[in-house]
Amino acid sequence: MARRLESNRFVMNTVQRTMRRAQLLPLAALALFFGFPVISMLVRFLRPQDIVDTISTSSLTQVWWFTTWQASASTALTVIIGLPLTWTIARYSFKGSKTIIGLVTVPFFMPAVVVATGVASIVDSPSVAGILWAHVVFNVAVVVRIVGARWALMDPALEDTAADLGATTWRTFRYISLPYIADSLRQATAIVFMFCFSSFGVIAILGGISRRTIEAEVFIQAVRLGDTKTAIALSALQAIVIFAVYTIGTCGTQNNDELTLATQQRTTPRRFRIATAIAVIIPTAIVLAPLVGAIIRSFIIDNAPSLNAYRWLFNGTTESIGINATQTITTSTIFATITALITTASALVIAAARNKRQFINTATAVPLMTSAVTLGLGIIVTFNDGIINWRGERWLIPIMHCVIALPLALRTLDPAVRAIPEEMRQAAASLGASPWRVWCRIDIPLLTPAIKRAAGLSAAISLGEFGATSFLTRSDSTTIPIAIQQLLGHPGDTLTHSAFALAALCVVTFTLALRAA
Amino acid sequence: MKKSKPLIALITALTALTACASSSNTTNPQEVVLVAYDAFTPQEGIFDDFTTDTGVAVKVVTAGDTGTMVSKAILTAGKPEGDVMWGIDNTFLSRAQKADLLTSYEPVDEGDICVNYDKNWFTQRNIPVPQTFEDLTKPAYKNLLVVQDPTTSSPGLGFMLATIAHFGDEEWQNYWKQLTANNVKIVSDWTTAYTVEFSGSSGKGKYPLVVSYGSSPPAEVVYSATPITKPPTGVMESTCFRQTEYVGVLRGTKNEKIASQLVEYFLDKKFQESMPLTLFVFPINKDAQLPDVFTKFAVQPNNPLTIGPDSIEKNRDTWLDAWRAIAL
Repeated sequence: MARRLESNRFVMNTVQRTMRRAQLLPLAALALFFGFPVISMLVRFLRPQDIVDTISTSSLTQVWWFTTWQASASTALTVIIGLPLTWTIARYSFKGSKTIIGLVTVPFFMPAVVVATGVASIVDSPSVAGILWAHVVFNVAVVVRIVGARWALMDPALEDTAADLGATTWRTFRYISLPYIADSLRQATAIVFMFCFSSFGVIAILGGISRRTIEAEVFIQAVRLGDTKTAIALSALQAIVIFAVYTIGTCGTQNNDELTLATQQRTTPRRFRIATAIAVIIPTAIVLAPLVGAIIRSFIIDNAPSLNAYRWLFNGTTESIGINATQTITTSTIFATITALITTASALVIAAARNKRQFINTATAVPLMTSAVTLGLGIIVTFNDGIINWRGERWLIPIMHCVIALPLALRTLDPAVRAIPEEMRQAAASLGASPWRVWCRIDIPLLTPAIKRAAGLSAAISLGEFGATSFLTRSDSTTIPIAIQQLLGHPGDTLTHSAFALAALCVVTFTLALRAA
Repeated sequence: MKKSKPLIALITALTALTACASSSNTTNPQEVVLVAYDAFTPQEGIFDDFTTDTGVAVKVVTAGDTGTMVSKAILTAGKPEGDVMWGIDNTFLSRAQKADLLTSYEPVDEGDICVNYDKNWFTQRNIPVPQTFEDLTKPAYKNLLVVQDPTTSSPGLGFMLATIAHFGDEEWQNYWKQLTANNVKIVSDWTTAYTVEFSGSSGKGKYPLVVSYGSSPPAEVVYSATPITKPPTGVMESTCFRQTEYVGVLRGTKNEKIASQLVEYFLDKKFQESMPLTLFVFPINKDAQLPDVFTKFAVQPNNPLTIGPDSIEKNRDTWLDAWRAIAL
């Protein structure tokens, strides 16, 4: 018996060892397509003087100022709108609360360009209000998910006792609830701030000519003005800001694993009042209005119901600006499929290799903190010469999507692999199953939901990716977000409505896909 | 045998990679690809003769406005999206040269970027039409001018360069400060400015002054919904900046020979004579005959404002940066 167990441990290691060897391929690819371009770009082009210049040049000072204040305002609004909803969902169990969590989560997975298009379908002209709204729409889910998980853990008796002792609602929140959720709130705030600070898709649609974030400015400097030095200095400086925010946001917070468990402990049903109804309805309406708006506007032309927007999209009208919707949708679907396959397979191999948690955290955090535009910039300045002159190649786009999706897919799969009880594997092995059989029969079935989630997430990232794709897109590889941005970027009702139609198709597809999941 | 599972995953991943790598090479020798800006609308069937003579079809791929087209092409210089590029102008030429974008190029057409005005708007209100750059900053012309962002639009860049040519390196920034104070409207591209914001064309917008071309008035006559004999718009001649467009062979093309033939075709009399009424530009080939409506209504000043390509290349970044600090 003892001998058998020992041999089991040994065979478990063969699976693991093979995976450790196999993971070198995706890790090497990550080094080639992420580490190499970003590092070589910084080493080759970054000069301290350029960084100083990017802060002191007056046109750029304005950009820094706008980026910071819009990110702060967006984050504040997201928290203000998200907290009441989070509180209600965490404290009350009522009919439809799951649906509401599902609905407010939809925009988070949706392409930023599509969310912004939804806002544009309501506000029409580019404006700061529109930018803030779009940021709120897809970040409320971050607050609901992260803070909600923590809040649900809190014993309602704590609040009730404070109330019994005569504390006002505000005092109870300030001195009892807030300290309890403080860590998770800080984490959520930092993540939302990071997203808003490096916003690009939303700005491309709603920014107009004079409202630009650093992320958008990097693109303009590199592509429009051909000034790579300034672009690189800006993106380096932005990375420093994001790293600082990320560190502040995550230091001292525990891993999310226990929080995920917490959501299962539902609180007892309590009296549902008008105030709580408002706390649910208003935030939900704010989040969903742009998505519904895009759908409605796609069916209304000149105040009358019409299907023309969809006709224009597919009958060649949009060819006048070089957009072929059928080709675009096909391209996006192919890229998303490739991304889902490669990313999920790579993440599965890396997770199954069961590396140290520290390694996983570091390996995934760095790409997460590097903005997509920085990656796109790194790729075009690095892969431009000799045998690695790849920047005109179409396949580089899905590969970049894989690089961007891998950290998130790994964050989905790694905890799932760790959660498989070792006893189950040992039991199977002691019944005579070979290690690979154990892996196929125990690990894989238990991992299936996580594998599906990782694949879906990767596909969604590929479909929505805008920042890095903008650098590499060409007329024969236009993806959906790029097409929408080009349609909205040209004057003319036909093109604008075609953009709404394409966005509406995305909204419906994403909502259905998420419901199925 | 035991290692088969992960190997299958890896092989699948690799196959997907190679499959998508090999799908990117689809050059059709029966076709020559012309990359052009959005507004490239040649006469229908104009390439038929070329196809008859050479057996090669011409496929036009549009790539945004001139600025976007050139920037994008520079990013993939040496691995071009097509064989020939139409429409790099003198404001962007030096950038293309620096990036070694073209193996050869020829000037193909010319025209002027000038402020256009809506005749009716000024006569109805009994306000004199502005005559000079200086007029545009006067209170009488507040809220009336729409221009394009020079970082994204070639007429926008032309107009900015015109102010630099007129006022000199010292004064032009002050002029833009005054123009901004006089509420100049800035949009990203020519189409938005001319067809949406300008009051004198199809969009019936709010602005009676717009940066456009010396050849825009004849275009109004040709494209008018109801037949008209005189254009509803005019040109402020003192603001005109000379623009020359080039056509060239993209470096990295696999069809160098047929690409050069297409360039020759553009310079030939037949194509040159088709340009005035389809692209609204003046032919570079002096043998080409100009149509009546063009000789009558298009403006081509004898002494337009201009700046040499070298000076543009040397200063463009500084100028644009200064402009952005003032105007955005």
